[in-house]
Amino acid sequence: MMFFLGMSLLAIFGSAHSPYISLLQTGILIDNVKENSSLFDSGVRANQIISFINDEKIENLKDYNSVMEQYHSLGDGETKKIIITTKDKSEFVLLARNTISEEISLSEIPKTRIQTGLDIRGGARALVAADRKLTDAELDDLISISQERLNVYGLSDLTIRKQSDSSGNKYMVVEIAGTSPENLEALIGQQGHFEAKIGNETVFVGGNKDVTHVGRTGQDAMVTECFAVQGGESCEFQFTIFLSEEAAQRHADITDTLSINGSYLSKKLDFFIDGKLTESLNIGSSLKGSTTTQISISGSGQGATREEAIESAKQEMKQLQTILITGSLPFKLEIVKIDKISPFLGEQFTKTIFIASFASFLAVCLIIILRYRRIKLSFIMLFVALSEIIMILGFSSLMKANLDLSSIAGIIAAIGTGINDQQVIVDETIRGKLESMGVRIKEALFIVFTSFATIIASLFPLFYVGAGLLRGFAVTSIVGVTIGVLITRPAFADMIKQMEK
Amino acid sequence: MKKFEGWYNTNYKKLLIVPILLIILFSSYMIYFYNQNNDFTKRDVSLSGGTSITLQTEISADEFTEALSDVFPDIEIRTLTDNTGKQTHLIILVPEEKDKIIEAIESKLDLEITEENSSIEFTQGSLGDEFYRQLIASMLFAFLLMGLVVFITFGESKIIKAYATILTLIAMKITFPTIFAISFLVIFGMIVTPIYGLYFSSSKKSKWILLGLFVSFVVFYIFPYYPIVFIIAIICLWLYARYSAPSIAVLVAAFADILFTLATINLIGMKLSSGGIIALLMLIGYSVGTDILLTSRVLRRRNESVNSACLGAFKTGSAMTLTAIASIFVGLMFIYRFETVLNQIFIIILIGLAYDLLNTWLTNVLIIKWYAESKNKYDKVKK
Repeated sequence: MMFFLGMSLLAIFGSAHSPYISLLQTGILIDNVKENSSLFDSGVRANQIISFINDEKIENLKDYNSVMEQYHSLGDGETKKIIITTKDKSEFVLLARNTISEEISLSEIPKTRIQTGLDIRGGARALVAADRKLTDAELDDLISISQERLNVYGLSDLTIRKQSDSSGNKYMVVEIAGTSPENLEALIGQQGHFEAKIGNETVFVGGNKDVTHVGRTGQDAMVTECFAVQGGESCEFQFTIFLSEEAAQRHADITDTLSINGSYLSKKLDFFIDGKLTESLNIGSSLKGSTTTQISISGSGQGATREEAIESAKQEMKQLQTILITGSLPFKLEIVKIDKISPFLGEQFTKTIFIASFASFLAVCLIIILRYRRIKLSFIMLFVALSEIIMILGFSSLMKANLDLSSIAGIIAAIGTGINDQQVIVDETIRGKLESMGVRIKEALFIVFTSFATIIASLFPLFYVGAGLLRGFAVTSIVGVTIGVLITRPAFADMIKQMEK
Repeated sequence: MKKFEGWYNTNYKKLLIVPILLIILFSSYMIYFYNQNNDFTKRDVSLSGGTSITLQTEISADEFTEALSDVFPDIEIRTLTDNTGKQTHLIILVPEEKDKIIEAIESKLDLEITEENSSIEFTQGSLGDEFYRQLIASMLFAFLLMGLVVFITFGESKIIKAYATILTLIAMKITFPTIFAISFLVIFGMIVTPIYGLYFSSSKKSKWILLGLFVSFVVFYIFPYYPIVFIIAIICLWLYARYSAPSIAVLVAAFADILFTLATINLIGMKLSSGGIIALLMLIGYSVGTDILLTSRVLRRRNESVNSACLGAFKTGSAMTLTAIASIFVGLMFIYRFETVLNQIFIIILIGLAYDLLNTWLTNVLIIKWYAESKNKYDKVKK
């Protein structure tokens, strides 16, 4: 048991950002850097830890704010040199304007690896369903398109996953921690608008009317050839898209006016999603003025080895295909549930939860001590219960599970069961003196195990219902009671045996 | 004490009238409630669809109600306060869509609802219904599975246990059609168990029962209609009653816990959330713990009288339940003012645990005593 306890403590307090224990870390963590800002351009990225600014040591947000004051008081248009040093000793030097703090969001380094759920930390979560049952492939397309569209906002903590439930409904779950884009509902509740332009003129838009088909398998989409380049390998990919007659005609009219520049035309084909430029492709000179309904799109991916290069080419190809099918998925979307949680209760609430757990723990202590009137025994019981909490938290840190309110309820359920089981073990072993110690322990563990089995049986169906939103509860309580039965209960029985000898 | 024990030993069967009366009383209330509301409970917005807005504001709840109640007749407003009792937030609950209520608040109360000052949760009606349906199905299931576990532990015939397992698995397959592992288990069990059962069972009567069960498997497997789940539940209950009274006692106690708790929730006018249903599931787990303690003490301890075994179990079990009640009560006191989903979970568990004291130490004790004593007599006659 001690072994598992140690491992769990390591899992909770071990740092996600460096091999050191996170309690001892100083500096502040970069959550997010605005894309195309001066900081971003100079190479500052999310997840780095700032330790120095202009040779001043930065230990917390307060230090940071006092150093940054000089930049905030700059006049409009004025700049001043700033040197940011990160934990891994990289230095970033740039000229800062008075708006520099708006380009970056920071937080103190988290003391533990326990991740709290959206309902405590704040953020947005949406459950999106289609107007008919989706196939897995359709859902995958929807998810990659949404990913593509939301990535434009540079959100640091975005997850999009699929979720199905016991009735076979499929949902897309979008979770964003912290602040979310204002038009979030439109972004995920509608399919988005795709446009392909040459210069200012639109060649085709998303939807079946213009793009009749995007080749994604077999001869229509593949990695064609690979060759060695400086520093590794490069692979070419190619896939075909099919345009309608009208779109093909437009393509011919527009390209006809362009001049030839080497092997390509003078202007590029630009892809826009929701009005934002996402890709620019060269147009082969042979396509000038042609009314072809089949266009082949090619590109390349690089990597250190051939496998990497192929993988990256496939990735690139998939991204382009995803963009092209934006707006052409054959179903309508509907946001069936959306929660936007502001963390204003978060901190206060987390504090109170700690106080509340401590108080209930004291209440349990009091009852146990009053009932058994044996300090050593009570101490062991409480120690074991405490280790159980630590192990559950350790396990969920390892699994990177988000602890939301329902998971906390699950932990409470598991601990309650644990304390109950311990009382059974103590009563069985200490009270009945008729049989031998071994028999009594066996009897106690029999009761413990049977109630464990019924608890698992009653919680198991929860895994499959409610679009996975209640899974937090099911996971923590089942993990909790399982840890109990496999690790702490036998250990506890053993301790009692030692004590009684 | 001696006197009481003598009286108890002669009259304990009559005491069963108390739980029976209580069950009838609470059931009739639930039936009445169902007729009134067309549902077993009132659901909150997370299960029926609607919007919940937590808003940081100093405007009082009354002002909100006054401004909004003519457009939103079902509006419900709760006030959150800080340590000193000063209002910090309002929770506004309406069954309507979120844009509608946000617009109304912004125009009528001249407030801007932003990401900083508010939390908004919206659930569409159809999704709420779906959640509710699935949670109820999972509750039913929790029951079936729990009964099965108790039956497997304390029941008598191995073959009947195997049959009960397959029946439960079929019911599961009907409720959760997307889980493939279950289909595999069902088919495997359907092939192995009847052969084994018919080969080993000795009496003609049990052969007929097994044959009947096998036919019902095939029928249920071929026609997976949802109502069959209920038929399976009834068959299982019958099997448990016939082959193991203790499992029925545990099931009755757990059922009574849920029934009494639900009725009480309805009586105090609480609206059930998804967290509340979780709490009811937790309750099943907790209540079964003490039932199992009791059952195994009485049935597995041969060198002790039934009464002293019950008393021993009572001492441990009531201490267990009281510890749980105390710790949850203390926890609830601290977090109550945040009005989170934990409140309902804790309140339901408190109510349920209190009823569980009654159901385990009155209902279940009586049934198990009856069973153990008739079994003792039977054993003596056999000797």
